Amino acid sequence: MTLSLDMFDTPVQLLPKPRGLDGITELGPERLALEPGQQYRFSFNMGACIGCHSCEVACAEQNGLPPEVTWRKVGEVEGGSFPTTKRFHLSLACNHCLEPACLQGCPTGAYTKLDNGIVKHHADDCIGCQYCTWNCPYSVPAFQPDRRIVTKCDMCQPRLESRGTSACVDACPTHAIGIEVVDVAAWRLDHHEADGPNMPPSELTISTTRIILPDDMPLETFAISDHDLKLEHPHWPLVWVTLLTQMAMGAIGSTLLVGVERHGAIVAFLAASIALPASLLHLGRPVMAWKALRGLRRSWLSREVLFFGLLAAATSIAVVAPSTTTAAVALAMGVAGVYSSGRLYVVPGRPAWNTPLTIWAFLLSGAATGPLLAMTVTGRDHPLQLLSAAALVAQMVVLATNLIRLKNNPAREYRGSYRLMTQHCNRLLEARVGLIILGLLLVFNAPAFVAMAVVLVAEGLGRYLFFVSVVPLSTPGGFFTGR
Amino acid sequence: MMAINTRLPAWLGFNHGGDRYAYASDEHFGMMQADHVPDVWVRTTCGYCSVGCGILLGVKDGKAVTGRGDPDHPVNQGRLCPKGQSEHLTLSADGRLLRPTVDGDEVTWDHALNVMTKRMSLLLKEHGPESVAIISTGQLVTEEFYALGKLARLGLGVAHYDGNTTLCMASAVSGYKMTLGSDGPPGAYADLEHADCIVLFGANIADNHPLLAPRVLENKTATVIVVDPRVTKTAMFADQHLAIKARSDIALLNGIIHILIAEDRLDLDYVHAHCDGFDELREHVSTCTPSKTAAACGITVQQLQETARAIGNAKAATLAWTMGVNHSVQGAETSALIVTLAAITGNMGKPGASPFSITGQCNAMGTRETGFTASMPGYRAYDNANDRLELARLWNIDESRLPKERGRAYPDIISGITEGLIKAVWIIGTNPVVSFPNRDELEYALSRLDLLVVQDGFHTPTTALAHIALPTAIWGEKDGTFTNSERRVSRVRKAVEPPGEARTDFDIFLTLAERLNVRNELFPGWVTPEDAFVEWTRVSKGRLCDYSGITYDRIDAAGGVQWPCPQHKDIPLGGTARLYSDGRVPTASGNVQLVRITPREIADKPRVGYPYLLNTGRTVEHWHTRTKTGRVEILDRLAPTGWIEMSPTDADELRVLSGQLVKVTSRRGTIEEIPVRVTATIRAGEVFIPFHFDDMCANRLTVAEFDPISREPNYKQCAVAIAKA
Repeated sequence: MTLSLDMFDTPVQLLPKPRGLDGITELGPERLALEPGQQYRFSFNMGACIGCHSCEVACAEQNGLPPEVTWRKVGEVEGGSFPTTKRFHLSLACNHCLEPACLQGCPTGAYTKLDNGIVKHHADDCIGCQYCTWNCPYSVPAFQPDRRIVTKCDMCQPRLESRGTSACVDACPTHAIGIEVVDVAAWRLDHHEADGPNMPPSELTISTTRIILPDDMPLETFAISDHDLKLEHPHWPLVWVTLLTQMAMGAIGSTLLVGVERHGAIVAFLAASIALPASLLHLGRPVMAWKALRGLRRSWLSREVLFFGLLAAATSIAVVAPSTTTAAVALAMGVAGVYSSGRLYVVPGRPAWNTPLTIWAFLLSGAATGPLLAMTVTGRDHPLQLLSAAALVAQMVVLATNLIRLKNNPAREYRGSYRLMTQHCNRLLEARVGLIILGLLLVFNAPAFVAMAVVLVAEGLGRYLFFVSVVPLSTPGGFFTGR
Repeated sequence: MMAINTRLPAWLGFNHGGDRYAYASDEHFGMMQADHVPDVWVRTTCGYCSVGCGILLGVKDGKAVTGRGDPDHPVNQGRLCPKGQSEHLTLSADGRLLRPTVDGDEVTWDHALNVMTKRMSLLLKEHGPESVAIISTGQLVTEEFYALGKLARLGLGVAHYDGNTTLCMASAVSGYKMTLGSDGPPGAYADLEHADCIVLFGANIADNHPLLAPRVLENKTATVIVVDPRVTKTAMFADQHLAIKARSDIALLNGIIHILIAEDRLDLDYVHAHCDGFDELREHVSTCTPSKTAAACGITVQQLQETARAIGNAKAATLAWTMGVNHSVQGAETSALIVTLAAITGNMGKPGASPFSITGQCNAMGTRETGFTASMPGYRAYDNANDRLELARLWNIDESRLPKERGRAYPDIISGITEGLIKAVWIIGTNPVVSFPNRDELEYALSRLDLLVVQDGFHTPTTALAHIALPTAIWGEKDGTFTNSERRVSRVRKAVEPPGEARTDFDIFLTLAERLNVRNELFPGWVTPEDAFVEWTRVSKGRLCDYSGITYDRIDAAGGVQWPCPQHKDIPLGGTARLYSDGRVPTASGNVQLVRITPREIADKPRVGYPYLLNTGRTVEHWHTRTKTGRVEILDRLAPTGWIEMSPTDADELRVLSGQLVKVTSRRGTIEEIPVRVTATIRAGEVFIPFHFDDMCANRLTVAEFDPISREPNYKQCAVAIAKA
């Protein structure tokens, strides 16, 4: 069908240019002109927001987002008691931070901070590793399944340049959202206006969104989304990648203990070289994986990729030329890789992971599984049995210490993580502990491959729990949409 | 193989789909998603609520690809709520009825209408006009309502014809009639800007009429008072929130009037010149002392006094109300009492000053004015000889052909079916299975029918029960006008073709008239909806709802015209902003009839076994029974299921946490599982469930108790039991 104006009984008028409305944030590019040292930011007037979600829908429309992706979301907080209860809404998108955690962690340099302050994500450079989604304390970047990359708010940059507003600003019926100019140096010194109820502290990344709090804000509030405690994605490829690389490290290290020989190097090489392609399964865009090496100067993920690449190379050399030197070099690469691997989870955006215990747990997984792997091919049990057993005991200590740490912190992200581990996943947690104990017995009393299978399952379970039980920092959400 | 060729590269990540997410410039709205840049913008009016926002529908290659608020529309000035923002998506939603069906089989239109007229005529012949009823909606265009009224009463000659507006605004209509002598909201949205006191009675506009909220928020000088048993989103921007006990609104109004009289804060000039019954009113409220009132309402004496004084001292007060008032067995009386309060304080027909019912559906007003349900077209009364003669003359028919009375109202149609008196029902554009109180009984009634014809755009739980289902065009696929809460007539335009064999309701009515051999008589020379509009403007001439000066061109020029807009009179382009500016109202005496109302107790009140009081209502993301909004994914994701709001005290007692499931039971039915939202925005002992959902259907619980005057259901209070699911 072709449409013509004749279809309508009166001619359709094409519009005059939309006019500005009195008192509305119709900034216009000229009022938005930036002086040196300034950047754009969002403002949000909490007292004016009626929680209608128009901004959210307008954003999706402007950017053609699929329904499961929201660049702006509206959350709700509540405080006080009936009948003087207060409820407020928070409509937040990207905060275009002064110290953007997304940018700092990105292995490929897919994020840049533009001169106007917008934290811009470049789709071409994104490999879909999702590391930024763990780093951002506001959980702003989100993986977009149909594109297999991460996407996020860019303050409607194309529209901002031409018209001086974004879709959310234009759509808000009560003009609660605005775009304004901020002096970067002054904001860096005092950014308390970026703090809002039930939000992560602004100093983590120096968020620039100015939140105008109402006068009658209660001292204590809770987010309507707080009840929504759900398991995070298990990232199965990462479960196996981390375990295999750790096992490779442990195996090559074990050969040093019992005398370097080719078989030990071969299994370490196999573990490392299965891990590398497996890691590609985690990426949204595997063919672009090489770009992950671009961020060596700031990203632990880039370093992890580098060192595990070197681990695979070094173990292959150790296979060809088994010697204490080649094995020691491979072990160094392995330790560096596992350390980098652990470090990349130690981020403020994921409080349950944000502890040295994470790195210890990773190293101990290697120390528990690697010797068993070496034992299966070398047949040399001593002192590898002891090493593996000691690592398993230490791993139990790390687990217990972390559980206590999570339990004792009243913040939702800690207590929630504890609840996910001990309530939602209590069976799996018990199974893991049981398997570790069983492993301890088998290490000394069964063929190495049996013990290895049991310990591997125990550590696999542990790694699964590690990924699913983390409660990310984020901003308040809705009753159904969650945080 | 194809799949591998196309999917593998994507999976490997050669392409991130950026081309699908490119931007391009639209000449009016600037940069937007490239695929959404339309060929043409079609100017229309939103089809959800009665605020009546202007929308520009973007059409590309015959498909609605985007929508924007109309920056030039006087109501919304370019802004929309999330339903309006995403309304273009309803035009590509799945679940449409595409072909007529008879007894579940797809048939031709000819066949379906043959069967429908044959079966209906047979029943009418056998059991008389009392045996057939029509239930319509508030969501057709005015032109369709006008046509349907004539077809129903003069063509088919059915005795019973009502709309779902009885579930919605009937109480306000009755309240206006009781006090002002006629339906017709006296105020305008601009009053919210001019008032120095705004009282919202049972009106959660932030959720339910979002585009009115800015008018209240931007009025920085007004004292805003919200009367609502819950701490609603609207209560948050009030200067004073009166969290009154359920159904204590009449006590509150009487108490306010008592204080105003005692403190002499009335407009006695207006009372003496334009009100009847003041002395009786004074006598009636003499016992409604502040302490008694405050106790009855669960508020403090100070809150009560401050409220009364804010109203009494205001130069201009707007007293607005919605479903919190209407959805009650005393809805008509409460509405009348609000009008009474407005009248004795002189808040009538002045800028910023009026009693103002905020309507529910996009064109509830259109059916109230042109329809043939509670009154005859043009607010003409069935029992008024002059009205009858005038209408008969205008239509060139014998006066005896006009019905003597309105027939059964909606709930009485349902009880008529249960009693076996009504054999056939034709339901148009409404979904009673979800929206009518006491679902079990309603479903039983519908199952008893010899003939159930359902005419709708989408598959609904009601079309599933139909013997004959007729697929219609929906908003965006047809032409006409809507009239909003402030009496503003706006254009609704066809932007895209209806899918399958769906036809406009207008076309269906005209075709049926042809089959009944009454088309030439009822719809002489009609081809387009505009023909109906032109006749209606003639029929409304001289009435309160005078459209005679309105044409489609004038609506376009003004962006919407408020009636009354008599022809050849000196009326501004945009029509008349408010009614009764001269003080005279269309009662017999020309004066406002002040009412004296005594509150009645809640019938199904909490007791042993059913200890909680259930309140029902809406949420911003959804419209009515989600026929459309449930199919717009972005809205559905925001609120995919129902929930029950419960105070922390009650949740502790029941040992439930937010997000856990409970079972809710009333004497009438059960919701097996519904998630709890623990919130201190609700009084302990009261719970709230939104009524939009087919599963977790609040109307399985609600009581089929109706206002004796307006016949509106009492949706807001019934007793329930709650247990962990």
